[in-house]
Amino acid sequence: MSEYYFDHAASAPRRDEVADAMAPWMHGVVGNPSGSHRAARLARKAVEDARDVVAQLTGAAPGNVVFTAGGTEACTLAVAGTVRAYHRRMGRAVIVHPPTEHHAVLDAITMTTSQLGDTSAHVVGVDSDGVVDLEELTRALAGPSVALVSVMAANNETGVAAPLDAVATMAKAAGVLSHSDVVAAALWTDLASLAPDLDMLSLCGHKIGGPVNSGALVLRSNIAVDALMPGGGQEKGRRGGTVDVAACVGFATALALANAEREQVNARVTAYRDELATALSQLEGCVVTASSARRTPGTVHLTFAGIASDELLFLLDQAGLYASAAASCSSGAVVSSHVLTAMGISPERARGSLRLSMGAETTARDVEAAIDIISAAHRRLRGD
Amino acid sequence: MLVAMSGGVDSSVAAALLRDEGHDVVGATLKLWGGASDSGCCSVSDVDDARRVAQVLGIDHHVFNYTEEFDRHVVTPFVEGYAAGLNPNPCIECNRHIKFDLLFERAERLGFDAVATGHHAQLASTPDGPRLVRGADPEKDQSYVLGYLTARQLDMLLLPIGHLTKAAVRGHAERVGLRTWDKPDSQDVCFIEASKGREAFLRSRMPLTTAELVDVRSGVVIGTTDAAELMTVGQRKGVLPDRHGEKRFVTKVDLGARRITVGRLEDLLTSTIDLDASTLTFARAPLTSGARGWFQCSAHGAPLAGVLEESDDGWRIVLDEPARPVAAGQSVVFYAFDEPTMVDGAAIVR
Repeated sequence: MSEYYFDHAASAPRRDEVADAMAPWMHGVVGNPSGSHRAARLARKAVEDARDVVAQLTGAAPGNVVFTAGGTEACTLAVAGTVRAYHRRMGRAVIVHPPTEHHAVLDAITMTTSQLGDTSAHVVGVDSDGVVDLEELTRALAGPSVALVSVMAANNETGVAAPLDAVATMAKAAGVLSHSDVVAAALWTDLASLAPDLDMLSLCGHKIGGPVNSGALVLRSNIAVDALMPGGGQEKGRRGGTVDVAACVGFATALALANAEREQVNARVTAYRDELATALSQLEGCVVTASSARRTPGTVHLTFAGIASDELLFLLDQAGLYASAAASCSSGAVVSSHVLTAMGISPERARGSLRLSMGAETTARDVEAAIDIISAAHRRLRGD
Repeated sequence: MLVAMSGGVDSSVAAALLRDEGHDVVGATLKLWGGASDSGCCSVSDVDDARRVAQVLGIDHHVFNYTEEFDRHVVTPFVEGYAAGLNPNPCIECNRHIKFDLLFERAERLGFDAVATGHHAQLASTPDGPRLVRGADPEKDQSYVLGYLTARQLDMLLLPIGHLTKAAVRGHAERVGLRTWDKPDSQDVCFIEASKGREAFLRSRMPLTTAELVDVRSGVVIGTTDAAELMTVGQRKGVLPDRHGEKRFVTKVDLGARRITVGRLEDLLTSTIDLDASTLTFARAPLTSGARGWFQCSAHGAPLAGVLEESDDGWRIVLDEPARPVAAGQSVVFYAFDEPTMVDGAAIVR
């Protein structure tokens, strides 16, 4: 059976170039980058080469790239690490964010506010496309003791892009640190020029063709970050634990590939996205989510009236089309999405969610097959 | 065929047996309860167990989310039932509305020929089509919770482990190497934390009524309760014996009057069970008034001989011998009089 992969947003296919670059660091002697002998020095050089690449591609100094084991850790370090440092100096701390953030950020905020006394979250509303309300954000940033604002660059479920330039500029004007979870936007965005006023961005390797358990928190300036794991003081005391050479090399390779291919891939995949949206919105009861909003090229989020995601995904799986409903819990069940709820989409509509997400590997044939398979499943579930 | 896999040993073995018979088997675990739980069949670790069993068996596994439907069809009626002075059985409602209505409908839409479960009950083929009969293991028989299955559902159902004892099921799971082989049976209502109990769950969702306990003969108030909804006719727990040491039982619960009437065993026994006619369900041909049968009023209660009757006042069961009363909201499952293992139908007590 042919397979059509439309779940890049969950985990992108591993690039061969990434595997090749990692291979030397996955066999035999690999020195501990913190050591002093030749093997250690070689390992350290590979890590620092990778760090230079990430720094250059994200608009940061190499010393301000903190390698992490993935996006969740990067987001948690950005939130908990900076707010703890702020709280230690200033006492009361407020974290401003929209309700549509990924759970990596939301749960880090909950953890931080529940662990630190006199610390709270201030949730700023979004419009029906899920775009943060800038007027409300201005007022929130003007409040007392605001330590951090966190706004994701693009939503992982809907692909809707945030007005990140404006957010970062407003934060800077208010003297508030800004963080952006750019995990879902990274493949499609020139990160070096992304929101020059932004202070921190979190990245994840496996969403861009790199290995799982790789990623980075990038600091655009010298920001005080308390380590979550102090360990042996690696990563300038911001992230303890032996640095994973292969992961750093794989991550930097994936990021460099994404950057080199970006213009071409964006143009191609944007056309696929629009083709999918146009064709599928012809199906009865099918609505493209936030269709008029600025979105990443790779994601089409749809809702199907009167159809349950569970059933649609089952039939797509049987036909070799791999997609998701975007929101799932740790058990693997499809659950209602906090993002769609915040956008004012009814639970009945949200029940019929489907997210198709693409990347550099997606072909025109994949898109044609997806339209056919989804149309057939739709006919079957509606009993037509 | 679709196998409903709870993450317990019975449905694990059901899937294994069907696979061994050469069927194209897909496992599905229903996520039912989104809240806190320390027992039952829908926690993350149970889903993990079901998924792992499916992996070991080499079959596909999916998780179906029915949390909204479970809340609507099972949890909310459970709470509303108590508030109305009833004694609902949530496991029966779950089997009926979630597993055998929604899941069967879904299975049909998705193109499955049959749905299998790990219940301890069996299907007997008869000229009228398959009939539900008791499981081979009398200790574990679950035909009671399947009492509402209709002919159409029975036609699509498979019960691969009903002919086995629990020990044989566990033995098979151990031989095949399934990690659920020694997993304890689930006993409790899955959405109620055993460590907190039914009262705490209900208190979090509704106000409970205080009431006086009144002796049926003397009219004397012998005590009070702060949770009248939790008192059930026939209950002895929480009721003091009389001054001669004779046991007393709840004979009537009147939430409106905030009065629980208590009496001795002879005040309690009754020969009739009134049924809610709208809930009458028959496995094949409807029973007619005057049909003799065996009537089982709880999951593992002894079946009682009697007659199903339709009177001016509606449907009821007249028992051969007086028995303890059955609380309103409970289910009675009917078994054929001359074939006492075969299910004829079911209804809810009013």
